[in-house]
Amino acid sequence: MCETCGCGLPDEAKREAREGTDNGHDHDHGGPGVRREEVRLYRNLMESNERTARANREHLLEHRVLAVNLMSGPGAGKTALLETLVRVAGHRLRIGAIEGDLATDRDAVRLRALGIPVHAVTTGSTCHLDAAMVHEALHALPLGDLDLLFVENVGNLVCPGLYDLGCHLNGVLLSVTEGDDKVAKYPVAFRNAQFFCLTKTDLLPHVAFDVDRPRREARLLKGDLRLFACSAKEPQSVAPLLEYFQEARRLLL
Amino acid sequence: MHEWSLATGVVKAAEEEARRRGAVKVLSVVVAAGFRTGVVPELLERAFEAARVGTLLEGAALRVEVEPLRLHCLSCGGETERETYRLVCPRCGGGEVEVRSGDDLVLKSLELEIPEG
Repeated sequence: MCETCGCGLPDEAKREAREGTDNGHDHDHGGPGVRREEVRLYRNLMESNERTARANREHLLEHRVLAVNLMSGPGAGKTALLETLVRVAGHRLRIGAIEGDLATDRDAVRLRALGIPVHAVTTGSTCHLDAAMVHEALHALPLGDLDLLFVENVGNLVCPGLYDLGCHLNGVLLSVTEGDDKVAKYPVAFRNAQFFCLTKTDLLPHVAFDVDRPRREARLLKGDLRLFACSAKEPQSVAPLLEYFQEARRLLL
Repeated sequence: MHEWSLATGVVKAAEEEARRRGAVKVLSVVVAAGFRTGVVPELLERAFEAARVGTLLEGAALRVEVEPLRLHCLSCGGETERETYRLVCPRCGGGEVEVRSGDDLVLKSLELEIPEG
């Protein structure tokens, strides 16, 4: 409590007040019968999302499912990559997907056509998926029948980076048609990423794109980032990525 | 707009803390945003103006303080503070670093109005 007026000022501000420092606390208590109190909290604003994310991770692990969050700008080829991964995996891996989009279930329809379980999350105006949306989607999927679950985030290279979804791996995709300068320009998505994959590499002969530049810049953001390059049009090019997911699942279980 | 989600999160957390203390009004809010969260103070403040409507925070001022990324380097032992996204020691270039702060979004303080007695 503040010694001057008993207003419940915390310790540090109280000391400042005693020493005569301006602490921004005035003693106008907002009229009769009301007091002003400054409280220091240091409360983590992402806490509830982080709690749900941890629960998602554990829940998936109990079902022996490795979950992979895919982040990229719109049109980098997330869905096309998933289509190729599903085809290449064939019967070796049981794959499911959660498809996040602002509107329409077009991506979900594309993947369902391959015969895998897909749940579409339509976020409305929200620019990212969060752990609670993924949690709800998990209830709609037959987790016991899956080895690998892809969570295709909303196409956006900024906002999704802030939200832990409870996946075991988070990856950023960048297509060669987007330009080789994008990694340093959009660094937030890389903050919790474990892998980075260049896509549409079949188009490299047609665009001015230095493949080393984004990889170099990504490694500066996160030194242990795993790097991949593939084209959804060339099935053999996604094999290393698939191998990486399988290895991660083996290590996790 | 994730600033909108964040702003509603700020309002929800602040209202919870205010109610717990018997406050009838929140006069001001301070949020500390780590540089690496990519939060833009102006955007969050603008979103907050809409998110606070009809809550205990109606009329409350929000201040967003951006905190630099503080790294501890496991190679050279250096403690550095920079406004950067890079998880690399700026002194020795080492990639094995621990994030000490600058990666979080935190409700730092509130100024409340509480009825006496």
